[in-house]
Order: sequence, then structure tokens, then C-alpha cells
Amino acid sequence: MNKVEGGRISGRQLAAMLILSRIVPITIAFPLITGIEVPQDAWIASLLGMLLAIPFVLLVVRLGLRFPHKTIIEYSEILLGKCLGKLVGLVLVLYWIHTAATVARALGEAYTIAIMPETPILVFMIIMGFLAANAARNGLEVVGRAGESVVWIVLFFLVLMFVLPFDVMHFRNLAPVLSRGFRPVAAPMGTATSFFLQFIVLGMVMPYLNRPEDAARFSIYAVLVSGLLMTSLTVALVAVFGPTVSGLTMPAFSLGRMVSIAQFLERIEAVTMGAWTLSVWIKLALFLWASAVGLAQLFGVSRFQPLLYPLGAIVVAFGILSYESYTHLQIFHEFRHFGIFSFIVALGTTGILYLVALMRRSLSPGVRR
Amino acid sequence: MLRKLWQVLFKRRQRRQSSGQVRTGSAEKRISSELPVNRERIKAAFGNSADLVLQDLETGAQGKVSALVVHIDGLCDKRLVAEVVIRQIADTEHEWNSAKQAYMDLKDRLLSGSAVKEVDSLDSFVASVSDGKCGVLVDGVTRGLVCDTRGWAQRSIDEPTTEVTVRGSKEGFVETLRTNTSLLRRRIASSRLWIEEMKIGRISRTSVAIVYISGVADEKLVQEVRNRLERIDVSAVYESGHLEEHIEDAPFSPFPTILRTERPDKVTGALLEGRVAILTDGTPFALIVPATFTMFLTAPEDYYERYFIGSALRILRLASFFISLTLPALYVAVTTFHQEMLPTPLVLSVAAQREGIPFPAVVEAVLMELIFEVLREAGVRLPRVVGPAVSIIGGLVIGDAAIRAGLASPAMVLVVAFTGIASFATPVFSLAIGVRLLRFPMIALAGALGLFGVVAGMAAILAHLTALRSFGVPFLEPLAPVVLSDLKDALLRAPWWALDTRPRFTGKARPVS
Repeated sequence: MNKVEGGRISGRQLAAMLILSRIVPITIAFPLITGIEVPQDAWIASLLGMLLAIPFVLLVVRLGLRFPHKTIIEYSEILLGKCLGKLVGLVLVLYWIHTAATVARALGEAYTIAIMPETPILVFMIIMGFLAANAARNGLEVVGRAGESVVWIVLFFLVLMFVLPFDVMHFRNLAPVLSRGFRPVAAPMGTATSFFLQFIVLGMVMPYLNRPEDAARFSIYAVLVSGLLMTSLTVALVAVFGPTVSGLTMPAFSLGRMVSIAQFLERIEAVTMGAWTLSVWIKLALFLWASAVGLAQLFGVSRFQPLLYPLGAIVVAFGILSYESYTHLQIFHEFRHFGIFSFIVALGTTGILYLVALMRRSLSPGVRR
Repeated sequence: MLRKLWQVLFKRRQRRQSSGQVRTGSAEKRISSELPVNRERIKAAFGNSADLVLQDLETGAQGKVSALVVHIDGLCDKRLVAEVVIRQIADTEHEWNSAKQAYMDLKDRLLSGSAVKEVDSLDSFVASVSDGKCGVLVDGVTRGLVCDTRGWAQRSIDEPTTEVTVRGSKEGFVETLRTNTSLLRRRIASSRLWIEEMKIGRISRTSVAIVYISGVADEKLVQEVRNRLERIDVSAVYESGHLEEHIEDAPFSPFPTILRTERPDKVTGALLEGRVAILTDGTPFALIVPATFTMFLTAPEDYYERYFIGSALRILRLASFFISLTLPALYVAVTTFHQEMLPTPLVLSVAAQREGIPFPAVVEAVLMELIFEVLREAGVRLPRVVGPAVSIIGGLVIGDAAIRAGLASPAMVLVVAFTGIASFATPVFSLAIGVRLLRFPMIALAGALGLFGVVAGMAAILAHLTALRSFGVPFLEPLAPVVLSDLKDALLRAPWWALDTRPRFTGKARPVS
């Protein structure tokens, strides 16, 4: 077993981290809502996207189970040979760095737009980058435990957010169902799935599970919980705002603004923002950890910890340089950019690895190479 | 990071300390066969201290054999010395042929009422005497006898002052180690309660006891405690806090990772969970390892009152823990950046209050917190008679005057006062102090970045807490990692009949046996 990371996490911690990672994109360009043609059908797209994600997750888990105690970086080298394998590993690491950079940028944008317009965006990104790198430096165990304790808080506030505005919900807004057929639903569905494709980070986490056979169960829990949560959010959003919802900048916060309970609890969007920030923290830490360990394994470095602060800095800089503006970030998350990109990178690499594994017959159980 | 800085700054000092360790191991002094020589040597060893008592006695039928009785005044029970040692030696009318025979007789018969022991060297003789024992030397014999006649003035067992309960035992530990172990032994009347004693401190030779229940405590844990204690190299141990800093896992953390308590019932509970207690002579505070976060929010009463009440109190305490950590920061963040979160009338009244105040909310909060901390510190240090005066002047006059003078808003005074009270709801003082320190950076973060700052601060604290360990046990144990079977006795307290398993990380998993 590789000594780069020595921690052990439980299935529940894995599920917590994955759920938190999946619900991060509720603010930036709520991908199912913003710019969608037929918002009434967004929930169908969300549900179908979730179902499509399950085979992918199973694929990653199956690959991981065939190579116990090996990360995806290591077994891609075994399957594809040194040169190609390292190339695939590098692509994956860059993909994770890019994901982290996007998340960091989204955090900064959300704060500068919604709450503190006068503070420079870098302040938020640097602080969050530092906190996440700091957590990841302590190893996967710490990230997992932090995720496990944070996930309840985040879920509580998210559920609060789409339950409390019940008085302004009009479920008639959801009709008509599939008024223009399946065609306009396809693209948002792809986007929903492409966020689930980030679960390829499982390939990095799986060898550190205390019971690897739990991986399938808990990652499917994660897919279901986060998928249903996103679906309920879309339903609530459309029910509250009607078809105009696709024009909102940050729909989830607009939803928070609608809360008014007993003339005391009003406009809880800042609290929701706080909970969301915690999930951003975990996602950033997870992906920073994955890229650091991945890099360490690619280049044969024995410790990943020294890589984390530099990686954090790279992620922040990358986040600033990658997108010109919030609109740019939003456009990037449309299916024709983000979706296709994720499908090529995540599905492409796992698909190739799986096919090669099939061809080399190393998929028969128990074969260790 | 801090640790590295520390090492750089204090490298030289560490080196000097390690080179100082070489000069031990001089030859032990033997007991001379001539009494006057021994007498002079003992006197010299104690520097002719005023409380050293040397008595020359003659024993046997014709007073043929002379003996020397040594003890320290105040450390020995005077009556015991007179009756069990001096009378036995002086009043005997035995016919002895030799000093050797007299010595054997004394050892085996005459002095046997006082747990007599034999020592070979003068050094250990002197050490026993300074430990409070009564030493006896016989002319012509190169060995000495040591009788246990220890007895000194000690505080009687009374209610622990720092951990008061309404219901439950009123006994607290005292400063004498033996009394404290007896308090534990009385609660756990089993031979499986094992007490290991060691001396720590090159000069002070303080007795430290490791207490655990064999078969319940993990042997590896006990060994770890032993190792850490043995590694301590100091000249004296003043209090268990001194030991705590030497053996704790994270010396640079604001959070304590070792629980200290004055209550024998708390120690008993911990022992039965498979934890290890460390008792130190000279202090009523026992240490319990490993300690987890929830233990610091637990009071013995949770277990004695009915479980609904116990659970409710725990939630209340957890809430006040968060209040004492974040309330001023949240207030600063909300009034400075997020006024929209409050209901309109409240915003208006807060804004009206802050109308004439010259400082931003952060400065106001830090000022008031500082004043509160000074008041608290003064209240603790002052003689008890003056105490109420300080709280009246401090609490009422300063608070009121600050508002009238327009230096602070009433809402801020309310927030700071409530935070202060909330921090006292934490049952263990050492956790409360750490939180009080962390409050200031939280206020600063809130003043600079609003709620984002508060969340970032909380995330940093959470990351730190999850990385903490206490003797191998994760500090946030039943919460992160979640251990379902231990959650029964963490934030809530399940009824007694449901508490049938030991904590997963300490003790053997099987139910109480």
C-alpha cells in the first residue's frame, strides 16, 4: 500500500464529502435553472441526471475494487503503461485542480455579488483556499471527519431553505409537464449528470476506505441524497418564482430572501450562505487533497503535504484567471461547455481504463498486478 | 508552524538541558557501622535543618545497644513515633548478645507495628526520612530500618469548590495522594482497581499515581501514559497542570486535551469507561486521559438527574458553548454587514442606539470584552471580602456609565454580558478559557469579513478540532468520526438502562463485567 496518505475513512464520511461536493453548485449558475428553456421541466432533468449518474459511479467503484489499495492514478499506470498512464493521471489531476479553481471562484463571486460587494474577490478566495489547504494537509481523515460533522448543518439549512417559503409556493407553476417534449430537457439533464461526474474523485478516495466494499453503497446514497435535494430545490424554486426563475442571478439566494417566519426569522440567505460556505470548504479541501496526492503519486514524491499550500495558491490564481466575470462562469456551466468537457475528461478516462481492463482480463476478481 | 518557531527560538536551551543530564550517577553512600558518623552524615545531608529531629536511645537490659531515631517534625504523627517507635526501643528489657541480634529483633518483632522496612544505603534512608518516615539506626549495624509513621496536617474532605452539584456526592479530592486513592478505592471495591505509583521531579520527588481498572482499560493506553510520565524530566512538580502540559498531545492548541476534575465520582465513571486517571500528590485535581470534547461539556449531575433533564442540560450547555464562542462576532457581523437579516424594528432600534457611539462595532465589542475580562480576572484574584464590591462597581457602574457616556450601546453591553455568563456554563474551566481567547480573533474576523469571517473562523476551529487527538482518541470522537453507539452519551444522555456499552475507543467493547 502506498504510504503517501495513511488515513482511513468510513463509508459515511465518504458519503458526506460527496454530498457536500455535489450541492456546492446551488449558487453559481444553479445549473438546472439558469438559462434553461423550460424551467417547469427542470426537476425532470434533475431526476434523470441523477439516475444517469448511478452507472458511472458504479463503473468507478468497480474499477477501484479490482485494484484494492490502489488509487486511480496508480492503476491507470498499471493498465495503460507508464507513459499513457501518467498522461491520464495528469489529465485527472488537472481536472481536479480545475474543479477546485471553479469552486473557489464561485465562492468569491457569490460573496461579492450577494453579500459584500465592496470587498475584493481575492480576499474570499485566498482565505478559503488557505483554510481548505490547511484541512487537507491534515490528511483525508480530517477532511472526512469535518465533512461528516458539517453535512448535518448544511442539510438542515438547505432543507430549511426550501421548506420555509411554503406560503409563497404555487405548485401550479410546475404545469405543464413536458410541454415541448424531451428535447429541451436533454441539455440540463446532461449538466446535472456532469456535476455527478466529479465523483470520479472516488477513484482517489476508495483505497483509503476502511471497508472498500462499502464504496458502492455509500456513493449511491450520496448520489440519491444530493440528487433528491437538488430536485426538491428546483421544485421549490419553480413553485415560488414561476417560469421567470431562469432569469435570476442566484436563484437559491432569492429563495432564501422569501423566508419570513413570525416576523422574526427573515431573509435567512446569509445563514444559508454560511452553510453553503462550509460545503465549499469541504469540496475544496477534498479536491485539493486529491490533486496533491495524485501529483505526489505521479511524480513519486513521498509526502503530499508540502504540495498543498502551493496547490492552494495555484487554485486561487487559476480561479481568477479562468473566468472573466460571473457571466462567463455561468456560461461555462452550460451543457455545451462544461457538460461536454466533463463527459470527455471523466467519462472518457474511466471508460478507457475500464475497456483496457476488460481487454487485459484483469477484471476477473482477485487478480492483482 | 508554532512548534517550528519554538524550536528555532529555543534550540540552545534544549541543548543545554540535554547536556546537563549526563552528570548523574555518583556512588551511593553506605551506612557506617558507627552511630556518630551516621549522625553527622544525616545532619550534613539535611543541612542541619530546624525540623530534623535526632534522638539517641539506649536499648536492651543494661542499655548496651545504642540506637538513633530520626524523623522530621511535622511530617510524622508524633504520637505514633512516641508509642510505636521510641517506646518500643527504649522500654525493652531484652538480653541481647550483639547489636546484630538487637537489630534483627527490632526489625522482626518490636517495630513491626508500623510497617517497618529495611534500607541498605544512607541515601535511601535519608530519602525515606524526607518522605515522612521515621528512621532507626543501630550502632554497629550497616543497615537501617524505616517505619511508616507518616501523618501530617491535611485539609479535610469537603465539597469541591470548582465543580458544585446540587445532587450527588459532596466529596472532593484533597491534597494528599493516599486519601485520594482511598476515595477511589471506596467507590470501586475491587482488586481490579490498580494503582501504580511513581516519583516525578528530581528534587521534589512528587508521588504521582496512575489509576486504572485492569481488564477494562486498554493495556496500550496504560503503557502510553506510563511512557509519557516517565519521560518527564523536571526538578519539581507543583500541580497536575504542570504534568498536563508535559504529557498532552497538542501543547499549542487553545483546547485542553486532558480533563481535570476534583470529583471522585467523575474519576470513577471515567475509570469504568476504560480511561486512565493520574493523581498527583499535593493537588486535589486529578487528570483523566483520554479526554474528548463532549466530556468537557458534561457535568456529573447529567447522570444523577433523570435523563430528560440531563439531556436538556447538555444541549443547553452546547448552545452556550457556541454562544460564548460566536455571539459577539455574530453581533458585530450582523450590525456591520448584514442588517437585512434582522427584523426592521430591531434594526432601527440598534441603529438608534449606535447613533452617538464614536467607534465601529468591532472596536466597541473588543473594548467591552476586554473590560469584562479584566473584571472577571479581578473578581477571581481579589480577597473574598472585596469581591462583591468589584462586581457591583464593575457590573453595574461601569456598564451603566459606559452607556450613558456614549461609549457603548446597550445592545452591545447585553451581548457581552450574556456571552460572559454563557462561558461560565461550560462545566470545565480549562475549555472555557480556551474559548474566551478564541472569541477575540472571531470578533476581528467578523469585523473584517462579516459572516464569511465567522464561518471561516468556525471552519478553521473545526479543522483544528478534528485533527486533535487525546492519547490516540480523536478529540471530537462521537461527533466526528460519528460513532453511533457513543452518541447515546454525548450530546444527549440516554437512560441508564440503555447505556450498556463502553466508548469504542477506550476500554473493552463488551458490556460492563
